[in-house]
Amino acid sequence: MADHFFTFSIITLSLFVVASSGGLESELVADLLTLQAESKSGVIHLDDRTVSKFLTSPRTPRPYSFLIFFDAANFHDKPELRLRELRREFEIVASSFITNHNSSNTKLFFGDIEFRESQSSFQLFGVNSLPHVRLVGPTAKSLKDDSDVMDQGDFSRLAESMAEFVQYRTKLTVGPIHRPPALSKMQLGLITALLLLCLPLVAKRIFAGETLLHDPKIWLSGAVFVYFFSVSGAMHNIIRKMPMFLVDRNDPNKLVFFYQGSGMQLGAEGFAVGFLYTVVGLLLAFVTHVLVYVKDATAKRLAMLFTLLVSFWAVKKVILLDNWKTGYGIHGFWPSSWN
Amino acid sequence: MATMPASASDLLKSFKLKTKQQELLIRVSILCLVYILAFITRLFSVLRYESMIHEFDPYFNYRTTLYLTENGFYDFWNWFDYESWYPLGRIVGGTLYPGLMVTAVLIYRILRFLRFAVHIREVCVLTAPFFASNTTLVAYFFGKEIWDSGAGLVAAILIAICPGYISRSVAGSYDNEGVAIFALLFTFYVFVKAVNTGSLAWSLASAFGYFYMVSAWGGYIRFVGFQHVQSGEHMAAMGVFFLMQVFYFLDWVKHMLSDTKLFQAFLRITVTCAVAVGGIALGLGMVSGYISPWTGRFYSLLDPTYAKDHIPIIASVSEHQPTAWSSFMFDFHILLFLFPAGLYFCFKRLSDATIFIVMYGLTSMYFAGVMVRLILVATPAVCLISAIAVSATVKNLTVLLRSKNKVVQTGSTKGSGGSKSSSKALLDQSQPFQKNGAIALLFGAFYLLSRYATHCTWVTSEAYSSPSIVLAARGAHGNRVIFDDYREAYFWLRQNTPQDAKVMSWWDYGYQITAMGNRTVIVDNNTWNNTHIATVGRAMSSYEDEAIEIIRSLDVDYVLVVFGGVTGYSSDDINKFLWMVRIGGGVFPVIKEPDYLVNGEYRVDKGAAPKMLNCLMYKLCYYRFGEMLTEYGKPPGYDRARGVEIGNKDVKLEHLEEAFTTSNWIVRIYRVKPPNNRWWLNRYKFG
Repeated sequence: MADHFFTFSIITLSLFVVASSGGLESELVADLLTLQAESKSGVIHLDDRTVSKFLTSPRTPRPYSFLIFFDAANFHDKPELRLRELRREFEIVASSFITNHNSSNTKLFFGDIEFRESQSSFQLFGVNSLPHVRLVGPTAKSLKDDSDVMDQGDFSRLAESMAEFVQYRTKLTVGPIHRPPALSKMQLGLITALLLLCLPLVAKRIFAGETLLHDPKIWLSGAVFVYFFSVSGAMHNIIRKMPMFLVDRNDPNKLVFFYQGSGMQLGAEGFAVGFLYTVVGLLLAFVTHVLVYVKDATAKRLAMLFTLLVSFWAVKKVILLDNWKTGYGIHGFWPSSWN
Repeated sequence: MATMPASASDLLKSFKLKTKQQELLIRVSILCLVYILAFITRLFSVLRYESMIHEFDPYFNYRTTLYLTENGFYDFWNWFDYESWYPLGRIVGGTLYPGLMVTAVLIYRILRFLRFAVHIREVCVLTAPFFASNTTLVAYFFGKEIWDSGAGLVAAILIAICPGYISRSVAGSYDNEGVAIFALLFTFYVFVKAVNTGSLAWSLASAFGYFYMVSAWGGYIRFVGFQHVQSGEHMAAMGVFFLMQVFYFLDWVKHMLSDTKLFQAFLRITVTCAVAVGGIALGLGMVSGYISPWTGRFYSLLDPTYAKDHIPIIASVSEHQPTAWSSFMFDFHILLFLFPAGLYFCFKRLSDATIFIVMYGLTSMYFAGVMVRLILVATPAVCLISAIAVSATVKNLTVLLRSKNKVVQTGSTKGSGGSKSSSKALLDQSQPFQKNGAIALLFGAFYLLSRYATHCTWVTSEAYSSPSIVLAARGAHGNRVIFDDYREAYFWLRQNTPQDAKVMSWWDYGYQITAMGNRTVIVDNNTWNNTHIATVGRAMSSYEDEAIEIIRSLDVDYVLVVFGGVTGYSSDDINKFLWMVRIGGGVFPVIKEPDYLVNGEYRVDKGAAPKMLNCLMYKLCYYRFGEMLTEYGKPPGYDRARGVEIGNKDVKLEHLEEAFTTSNWIVRIYRVKPPNNRWWLNRYKFG
């Protein structure tokens, strides 16, 4: 197809001696389509040269808009920026847009710029914080002032909200978002085959009544896990997408594991306290049902002492943490003369 | 089994009671004390404030109960309420769960019959504590059924003061949950009893208990119609029911047919037929649309993240937030530590009853992690399972104490307790410190339990007894300051506005305005019509001249907003505003959340978004606030709830005028001005 455009533009050039702007534009579009086809996700990788070629040099109005993701490879390992995740979502929007329009829509292109290799473009756009996504409309003269910045709110629901942003600003429909399936067809086939192979074995076990499901120990550990899962607030972390820990604002080398204020918690905090909750009960069960069968008296005493100390420490720790977190000072209502 | 101190038993001996009778006497007196304790610990709110209905939903329940006492059951059943959801109205009789109201009215009638001249409000206020007391009795019997009477007693004590339950059953919290938890536990108890005894009477009682529970907490009474066969959510239950029928039918046939070969053939045919018929029925139902697909609420159970992204009206309610670990600690305290131990004990003695309680405990625990309010449902299970742990441990220790060195086994003979104590007693000779150890451990256990009691009392008194319609704060000198602004505003509405005035406010205050102000509202806490709520949200988040169109189209006469900038009251409309935007934006895409935010941050000061500074909600809340000095050393217009100086101090209203502001500015009411006479003169100056 690119060739087609190429020949077309060459013909135009040869027919009209004066290079018409229309011909130049279609040449750019053709180049972009080639680049888009080359990229796996349809996101065109831009650098300083191509930015000037496609965005700064052509006269406005350009025949296309450009949605640009500003990326920095050296920040990929910072979890709080979520660069990798957002980039993946950006690619999903791009590929969904392209497939929904059968690769024939030339009004909008998706691009990304890497910080290390194109620092001057970053300056050109005036980008000094990440994550950053910018829409350069056809009429934007100054890349810094005339282009639209995607707000934090538009990242919030990932690909869906990015698509809404595009629809709202460019009046182009993105259409349904096509997420890649969690398992590829190959994997799916393999899993089905494995399951089919296992089926007779499992069936035999079930009829014999000796599966893992007949073992109360498995059920018990499952039950304790469910308990641990809910009291540690893991569901809270999943729903709110809480990080495991935060970096201290005042001192970047310090990590914050515990969040002060009730109704909110960090991931690691929840697991730590959930573990403390669980350990006391399990130790009690262990002492009353297992330890009594131990023959050696010293071992038994030591284990008992250890259990007592650990339980005491755990309960104390949790109550201290709870008082610190919620800010409540819980006290009894004794007669005032007792104080 | 009786574990009383020696002096008490001497005293009892002087009454010439046998050991069995002594034990019974002690048990009954403990139960009586627990019954009273459960009631009086819930009276903190009455002592602190006064005998009144709390929060939001209870006001609706109170209003309907009042209607029921005044007009009788048939009018109640056919009641069409034109005072809410103007102009749509609401069919009340068909959209509420009448169990609570009928119960309260029944108690009221009985008291009247006994010549106690009580007001229905007092009955409503005290319904929840009364049922909480009854719950302790049920918990005792339930504990007795699944473990032994000791566990039952401990369960009764634990549930009597457990904060997770108290949170929804203090005096004045006249809500469905107050009755429903009792009904739930009762149903479960009778069900387990029926399974254990196989008696038809118990299963009948279980069916009635279930009927009562669903009538109080939503279920399949007449007005719900054919939901249980039609909605996709109930298909699994239907399938199990269907299978049960097939199973028992086969059992019966097997009994009738003596020939095994014949039976085998019959079995094959019936099972194939049953599965095929079930499958076809399900498929046909799905295709024809008779069986509805799963609703959003059900999805949010399967995938808890569903509600957050798709149903803002569910996600906006504070009770529907996911639970952090500190909430569990706050509501369960030491029960949380004992729960795994109790689970272990249950697994060591598996029976139908213990499996039931473990299943109940785990499912409710899981869902309590998803939503804060479901901690309430988990509470009875947590209390019962922890009670098993406490009771079994304490019993083992006391058995050890009471046993003479040579005695191998005393008292308890059943289950793990017995086998454990025997193994300990056998080792007695080799361990001289065992008795001392047991005493120390007992003290430890009682210390923990006393901490639990302290915690529960403190939490009940400080956290769960506030009616939220009257606010309390600590003054500068540590004294208690009461803000009674809500009632002031509602009584102003009742006294000073025309009978048929329509009041627009955010849906939180709908029930209170109709119940106390006796005025018609546009939306209320029964959030059945999302579009209507979104319309109000849109009006609140638009500019005044756009909003007035919506306000006029809804015939609104007064607009009510709640504002905490003067008092520092944080759950006011400005803090709820983003939800109005979200819910409004969910139906009307012209409203966009980012327009109200600056870099994803919600601000009301100078750096706020221009749309935020000029929307109706901002103007109504901060009207003339810029002239006011709220805190010493701060500029005028300093918002104490958000701790900033507001960004738009010069608020001008064009179509609305201030009608009433309460003494602490918590409620502000605005009158909608009538359309200007000859309004076109303003628009076309020379017309």
